[in-house]
Amino acid sequence: MLTDSNAIADFIKKTKIQDVLNWGRKNSLWFMVNAMGCCGVELLATGMAHYDTDRFGIIPRNSPRHADVMIISGYVTKKYLPALKRIWDQMPAPKWVICFGDCAISGGPFYESYSTHQNVDDVFPVDVFVPGCPPRCEALIQGFVELQKKIEAKKDKGTDY
Amino acid sequence: MDANSIISSLTGKFPEDIFDANIESEIRIVAKVKPENVVEVCRYLKEDLSFGHLCCEFGVDYPDRNEIEVIYVIGSYEHPVVLTMKAILPRDNPEVESVVPVYWNANWYERETYELFGVKYLNHPDLKPLVLPKEMLGEWPLRKDYKGFPNKTARNLV
Ligand code: SF4
Repeated sequence: MLTDSNAIADFIKKTKIQDVLNWGRKNSLWFMVNAMGCCGVELLATGMAHYDTDRFGIIPRNSPRHADVMIISGYVTKKYLPALKRIWDQMPAPKWVICFGDCAISGGPFYESYSTHQNVDDVFPVDVFVPGCPPRCEALIQGFVELQKKIEAKKDKGTDY
Repeated sequence: MDANSIISSLTGKFPEDIFDANIESEIRIVAKVKPENVVEVCRYLKEDLSFGHLCCEFGVDYPDRNEIEVIYVIGSYEHPVVLTMKAILPRDNPEVESVVPVYWNANWYERETYELFGVKYLNHPDLKPLVLPKEMLGEWPLRKDYKGFPNKTARNLV
């Protein structure tokens, strides 16, 4: 049964149906509220009424089991990395990662710190990097738009084509 | 009480254990304390001199002198004075009695000094790392000769 459904999925990936699926996916990028550093404050503000990302289908969710996008919003300490991996495993596929802020991208101000993990892209398949310390909410929205473009062009890492 | 009378009271009670007591400014006293008797000195400070507030406790590493200083900053709600007490420990085996029985808030300070400097607190109720993961125990990252910093160039930016 499993092989059958895989066969169906493989077949779908070659047809126009996948475009329709991706159109649906790109317009409902629910992201997980996981504020990890100071950037997390911008992340929270993005989901609030002022920026109103709901109109793009970008809705904050509190559980990883409801979410499509994980935003790494801040420094990843060595102690937190196992928990973050576990959150990532709890998210149902298809799922995407956005690296938000200098800390998540390269260590930022905590570059060469004894307790942070640099280069999280070793661990997670990151699609979009949003630089800044912290980046503005508009930057995050642009990051989402880039992710939507990637999904539409079938260049994202969340789905294997 | 002003700084002078606090110093004379302390050195009068503990002539052996308190030395190099100095007045840094009107509101700051600096003194060195023998590590063996830290708890008795702290108890006297708290119960008789009403120094009831341990502001912080931390370590300083001096690799040249082969010493680690454990520093207690103790404030009072009654005297306009902050007391800085330093206990000097050997670098290879830093051990000092825990002051948790006197100042309960020293618990987390001591755990953090333990994970960052490797200062062993004897009779601490729960001596384990506070914020660092358990695997990093034994690296003592805030010692000056710590070499384990990640030195990877940010690949994404270059
Ligand atoms: S990138 Fe800057 S604002 Fe964002 S978590 Fe790091 S230090 Fe904080």
